[in-house]
Amino acid sequence: MIDERDAVIETVRGRLRASVADQADPRAVARILSAAFAAPAPSRWRRWLDAWHLPVMSRVGAAVVAVIALAAGFVARGVLPNRAPVDPMAVTGEFPIPVTPASDPRAGAVATQFVFEAPAAQAVALVGDFNRWVPTAAPLVRLPSGVWTVTVPLMPGRHVYAFLVDGARLEADPRAATVVDADYGRPSSVVMVPGR
Amino acid sequence: MMPTLSSHMRAAGVALVGLMCGAPLVVTAPHAQAPSQAIALAIPDAKARQAVEREIARAVSRGLPSAPLVAKAMEGITKQAAPDRIRSAVAAQAQRLEQARGLLGPTPSEAELVSGAEALAAGIPTAMLKQVRAAWPAQSVVMPLDVLTELVARGVPPKQALERVVTLMRRGATPVQIAGLGAAVQADVAAGLAPDAALEVRARGVMSLLPSPAAAAALAPSGRRP
Repeated sequence: MIDERDAVIETVRGRLRASVADQADPRAVARILSAAFAAPAPSRWRRWLDAWHLPVMSRVGAAVVAVIALAAGFVARGVLPNRAPVDPMAVTGEFPIPVTPASDPRAGAVATQFVFEAPAAQAVALVGDFNRWVPTAAPLVRLPSGVWTVTVPLMPGRHVYAFLVDGARLEADPRAATVVDADYGRPSSVVMVPGR
Repeated sequence: MMPTLSSHMRAAGVALVGLMCGAPLVVTAPHAQAPSQAIALAIPDAKARQAVEREIARAVSRGLPSAPLVAKAMEGITKQAAPDRIRSAVAAQAQRLEQARGLLGPTPSEAELVSGAEALAAGIPTAMLKQVRAAWPAQSVVMPLDVLTELVARGVPPKQALERVVTLMRRGATPVQIAGLGAAVQADVAAGLAPDAALEVRARGVMSLLPSPAAAAALAPSGRRP
């Protein structure tokens, strides 16, 4: 790649030759020389960029690249699977529970197993304040005995939950204490997680 | 005027930096917005949905956290409540969170606000939340509030539950010990023991593990809340 400064110098040389040959006007020579030397020297940042030999791009070109990449991002958003969370609400159905790294805000979480008997059910999900009542967060696993189970890491404290059977029927845990929810009037279950 | 090479490079640099910052945000957006999208999907009626979203936005503009409110809306959706009931529940939750913020001040954590709101929903008087905060001004009161709520939910009179919990806090009990008290009383009541009797027995058990009042005062926690 030809450096921009080299190109300027070549232009100046050409004009100087023409000026000297045609007019030999010293003022014109001085003007051209002043203009050439007044050009700013390339900055260190610019020299660093030049060293990488990056492709030259106009503002329009840069904008087009940006639009294409953002469009690719939107496409990926629709195509890529949701990367978050299987792990936090780990659907193991068995111990041991996934280990949360020390940097994880749920590092103090305690493995808590839930069990629900529903031999005729097609699907059972655990919903509660710990997973914002999202039905897809913690599906239970059916064991051959017809018992459904899931083990999830819960933070120490009091948690309210229920089982969602076949995506429609909400049932309290018969093995746990119940509480009637003041806002929606439906019975839920309560688990006290003691901490470690 | 012809654009110079450096202006080209600057434009390219700006575009690339923008892409590097913007594209990952676009790709990761679905998870961050999942509950809101779930609300949108679950409440097809635009008017009803907007009413719920307005309640949440109003609460957020008052400085309240959005997560507990979105969770309250999701709870209603999962429980197949009518949209108007969901809106009322979200508004009530916002009110309780705001009340808890005033009672647990000056800077309660989000978890403390949620536990405070749950305590208020369980019928625990507002003055009791202040007493719990006063007992542990510098430590998280999530666990004491949760246990207090659970004791009252099991049938222990609020005054007795508060006395025992605050005594344990002042005597230097750890959050784990306080949580253990709540779990033990819950199990005892499920096994048929009277709630107040279960609390007396279990509180005595925890108390026996604690240092004397004088030693506890000397060891009083002075650290910051987690």
